[in-house]
Amino acid sequence: MNREHKAGEIQTAKAEQQVPWLEWAASGIGLFLVLGIFGVIGWQVFNGATTPPEIIVEVDTVAPVEGGYRVLFLARNTAGEAAAQVEIEGTVSKAGADTETSRVVLDYIPGHSERQGGLFFTYEPRSGSLAVRATGFTTP
Amino acid sequence: MRVTSERYAIGLARAFGGAIIFGIPLLMTMEMWSLGFSMGRGRLLFLMIFTLAVLVGLSYFSGFEKTFSLKEDAMDAFAALGVGVITSAVLLVVLAVITFDMSWGDTVGRVALQSVPASIGAMLGRKQLGDEQDMDAEEERKREAGYGGELFLMLAGALFLAFNMAPTEEMILIAFQMTPWHALALGVLSILLLHVFVYSIGFSGQEGRPEGGSFLSTFLHFTLTGYGVALLVSLYVLWSFGRTDGVSVAETANMLVVLGFPASLGAATARLVV
Repeated sequence: MNREHKAGEIQTAKAEQQVPWLEWAASGIGLFLVLGIFGVIGWQVFNGATTPPEIIVEVDTVAPVEGGYRVLFLARNTAGEAAAQVEIEGTVSKAGADTETSRVVLDYIPGHSERQGGLFFTYEPRSGSLAVRATGFTTP
Repeated sequence: MRVTSERYAIGLARAFGGAIIFGIPLLMTMEMWSLGFSMGRGRLLFLMIFTLAVLVGLSYFSGFEKTFSLKEDAMDAFAALGVGVITSAVLLVVLAVITFDMSWGDTVGRVALQSVPASIGAMLGRKQLGDEQDMDAEEERKREAGYGGELFLMLAGALFLAFNMAPTEEMILIAFQMTPWHALALGVLSILLLHVFVYSIGFSGQEGRPEGGSFLSTFLHFTLTGYGVALLVSLYVLWSFGRTDGVSVAETANMLVVLGFPASLGAATARLVV
């Protein structure tokens, strides 16, 4: 028992000098990932991560579906801060008729990111003027 | 115990196991995904640095291999964080939380936040999933570390459990619906359970009452201090997630007591897990 203990100590001392290559590899990959993540987050800190949301909505496609028309849109947050509960409102106006309004709420749009959504209309969006815009948001 | 690459590979495999098991509850928590991109970038960066410091400490007490120097503890901490990052990234992609059309800031934020619990899990994986080869050395270290070490273990335990609850909306909701009497009762209950868990019932690895210490001195030195640590950790985690921004002091105190409950249980049982 005593001898085993001593042998263990000698090997322990040896292990102190010889770090296995796998340990170097694992720690190195870890360090690399940590620096990468710190870099990206740190970069955001100094590059407008705190500018309030600014949301631009672009119409993607308009297609006829059963009972009306479907308008797909892309809502893009061009600022750094995330927006929550973003309300998107679309209107289609038709000559000699009321304006038709459809709304949808997107849960989140992160900073410098885009989210897709859709609105349904009964009027033909291409015949009148279709306008889609963001009407408001809350901060998460 | 000779440390070879094969041995280290086994430790690394256990670390991945720990990262998955300890990380899965939060990987499947919706608030964690949105906090990943919406929480303050400075706070996220600071949280990562704080995690790294805690990992170095945990490596000293119970890493996935026996360590000999600060350099090795640091290497283990980086390896654990690497394991946490890789595990989080892979699982978030599989769960479709991360898709390839997302912006870089969004993706990295989500992975970074998830890697906090996952990397702590990776560090604890060896202890929980591995054999008990270094138990003696570990116990010796815990004894040597004394009061400061005791407080650190409480902090780590409180952080881990508090972090599992803090992202959810429920913490705020519970605080809103509690009256001051509820809050007082929960605070007293937390302190009682902390004391009972650590010093009275026979969990394995539990602390014996310090020699010559009366009930009162144990209570003041360890139980109340432990609860203080739990409250501070709760405050830090809530602040990190922006839960305290613009909230009145009274409501923040309520939230602290609510989150302090799991945090104090974490502090009390840290010795079982770490």
